[in-house]
Amino acid sequence: MAAQTHTDVGGILRPQGHLDLATALAPYESALGERAAAHLLRRAGFGGTPDDVRRFAAMTAHEAVAQLMKFPSAQSIAPPQALADFEQGSYTGKARGREGRRTVVAMQEWWLDRMLSGPAPLQEKMTLYFHGHFTSRATPRFAWITYNQNAIFRRYALGNLRELTREVSKDPAMLLYLNGAQNVAAHPNENYARELMELFTLGVDAYGERDVRGSARAWTGWQVNRRAGTSAFDASLHDDGRKTFLGRTGNFTGDDIVNLIFEQPQCARFFAASLLNWFVYNDPEPELVERVAAQLRAHDFELSPVVATILRSNVFYSERAYRALVKSPVEFVIGTYKTLGLSSVDAGALPALIQMGQHLFYPPSVAGWPGGQNWITSGTMIARQNFLTQLLGSQTLENSSWLRGLPLSASAAANDVAQRILQGDAAPATLAQLNGYLAGAGTAALAALSTENYDQRIRGAANLAMASPAYQLN
Amino acid sequence: MKRKDFLIATGSGLAVVANTEHVFARALAQTPLPGLPGSSDRCLVLINLFGGNDGLNCVVPHGDARYYQLRPGLAIDRNDVLPIDAHTGFNSAMRTLKSLYDKGVVAVVQGVGYPNPDHSHFRSTEIWQTAAPDRYEHTGWLGRYFDDSSPNVPNLFRGVAISRVLPEVMISQRTDVPAVPALGQYTLAADREAASRDAFAQGSRDRRLPFSSPYLAHVMEVEGDAQRSSEELPRLVAGYTPKASYPATVIGRSLALAAQIIGSKLGTRAIYVEHGSFDTHVNQKVVQTRLLGQFSDAIGAFYQDLAAHGNDRRVLTLTFSEFGRRIEENGSRGTDHGEASPLFLIGGGVKGGLYGTLPDLAATNMGNVRYSVDFRSVYATVLERWLGRPSTAVLGGAFAKLPVLV
Repeated sequence: MAAQTHTDVGGILRPQGHLDLATALAPYESALGERAAAHLLRRAGFGGTPDDVRRFAAMTAHEAVAQLMKFPSAQSIAPPQALADFEQGSYTGKARGREGRRTVVAMQEWWLDRMLSGPAPLQEKMTLYFHGHFTSRATPRFAWITYNQNAIFRRYALGNLRELTREVSKDPAMLLYLNGAQNVAAHPNENYARELMELFTLGVDAYGERDVRGSARAWTGWQVNRRAGTSAFDASLHDDGRKTFLGRTGNFTGDDIVNLIFEQPQCARFFAASLLNWFVYNDPEPELVERVAAQLRAHDFELSPVVATILRSNVFYSERAYRALVKSPVEFVIGTYKTLGLSSVDAGALPALIQMGQHLFYPPSVAGWPGGQNWITSGTMIARQNFLTQLLGSQTLENSSWLRGLPLSASAAANDVAQRILQGDAAPATLAQLNGYLAGAGTAALAALSTENYDQRIRGAANLAMASPAYQLN
Repeated sequence: MKRKDFLIATGSGLAVVANTEHVFARALAQTPLPGLPGSSDRCLVLINLFGGNDGLNCVVPHGDARYYQLRPGLAIDRNDVLPIDAHTGFNSAMRTLKSLYDKGVVAVVQGVGYPNPDHSHFRSTEIWQTAAPDRYEHTGWLGRYFDDSSPNVPNLFRGVAISRVLPEVMISQRTDVPAVPALGQYTLAADREAASRDAFAQGSRDRRLPFSSPYLAHVMEVEGDAQRSSEELPRLVAGYTPKASYPATVIGRSLALAAQIIGSKLGTRAIYVEHGSFDTHVNQKVVQTRLLGQFSDAIGAFYQDLAAHGNDRRVLTLTFSEFGRRIEENGSRGTDHGEASPLFLIGGGVKGGLYGTLPDLAATNMGNVRYSVDFRSVYATVLERWLGRPSTAVLGGAFAKLPVLV
């Protein structure tokens, strides 16, 4: 059996239809138009405002992706103020736990705001990708550690995968989460060694138990200073004996382990499948995976050229990829604020994300969020709908411009709502429902759209459009 | 006669219903063969002790000197063990479970696992939930049971997962199982013009869309089910009053909801609950003791509540965990991923006692407890002797049944 990727999770579905392998990764040459522009903005970021969609619609894929790949420098990104305040407080005991949790909440909101209105949505999208890939849980009492890992992901957003893997392996957040800090020569702890191969770089079936034990020994010696938020290598705790790993023998260190893993043909395949799953569609064909893997190898695991190729490719803009993913809760929530023209999240975002099943900095397991069909259960659908009802009924929305400027005619307003929220992906019955709702048909209590009920009614129409099945899909 | 009709026909007052129910259920629970009417009134509560529960510190081999040698810093002190016999005992945190054991309603099956064990949380969890160690299977064993036992029966609550993500064990081809993290979250909020109430119901069924997505059908189906079940569930269970005081823990709240669903007689055949994380690579004693105590106390309240409503014999609780842990402790006062471990069956239909084989700490599989009972034997037993269905199709093979049920 071929080595497996994370697509083995149940509920991860490949689109129907035929893959044109020969042209799949060739550049998409047509002008984008609103539909493809909205698709690109959803996938490479968290959606766009109706204005963003119009602006990108006029570009070619090449131009649009070049725009999206302009990232601010790492130095220019200031950490959330709450972290400095937390540091200043020098809390101990219970207060430290409480203030630390508060700080994590501030970091979650800070990150959501960057996704929503920061200068580089693709950078945040890749940061989110790595957060779900190289999973770690928050350490509220040492909140800087959680922030620093997030900053590494942001710094490597389109950087080198091998270097990122080396760096994240030795970073305090990972050393704490997967017990690298407890992995010492006298008593190896295998937790990180296993997950590094299984979930982060190779997939199950690509290694054996002896490789886990060899790798664990190679990683011994990395220690964490929680207070300082730093890690350091302590040679006295390192096992510098000979280890056997993936068929090779030597006095390996952790860096050697990463290098040996990245020499495996399976490693490029693993990341290729993972990137295709993230950007294009789920359970990509092995042939397509192999093409992207070849690109990763050719570029020595530099992400920038490979992600650019994917986002400019025919397969990315193909009908098979269109709405072929399920919106994650973060995509759903941030995309909704964005679509409505809001520039910061309100207090409803975090509790809603938790109820929808995506609590940032608290992935459900070391495997991250399973995605696909797993996002959609009756419980999470109710949470999605309740988030919409709350947001669309709230004061927050008074800052949204376009909802106020729609025509007063019910049918024209219905079309506008459907176009701006769904880019034409409304079934006839959904359109009829919107139309009927705005026209006040069928329900005695509702009058037709008018200046008196305008605000209320347009919000209701947006709610209806966002509850439609197409809106759950990315 | 359907169960519901029976109750309506006989029960003029609550006490009468409860009493009748109890006698009725007891008679049925003692009927050993599958396919009999009693099985249609029974419920399985499956508790996932996720993260990999360390079996040796849960069901402790306190009579084995090797256990104390291999776990100098981690073994449960002989004086603290709640002994079952001279060799085996419960972790000291599980007093309530031990008292249920003493009443004969807890079966401990030791050495449960499967061939060529996988040490990954991810894959091993999938194996336990799909009951398919040798292939990649996308439906769960309870999902296949739902499909197999009555396809196309429109009951929204044949299975209920008390979790946010639908567990793989309940994924099926034809049966949608609601994932209800908590009752309070399972209600559509009202808005002023009721647009949100209509949102799922109308328009969402029209598939004439200018795209095709592999997920569209699923989204439409779940939207419809979510709308209906969220309207019905709170109403259907509203009349239930718990008659036990549950601990204020996640597992406590989950089992309280399970008892409420069971007591409301919705035709629910299986409920999934989760508790953890038992992934104790470090500081195991503190973490596992707390978790086992929470589990044991919640089970105590659960069966007290069930019994007070006359439901205790209708309910079988089965635990599982993706793997046990390494016999030898690691250097961080914890244990790494291992293999076979014990599981519990609890309930009035259980023939209490110790089953399986004692863990052999000398003849190991690379330092792990070898399995002696195939986990599919446990599932086969539950399917045939509790839920009253043939197990071969569901499990993809025939497995020996264990004599753990009355």
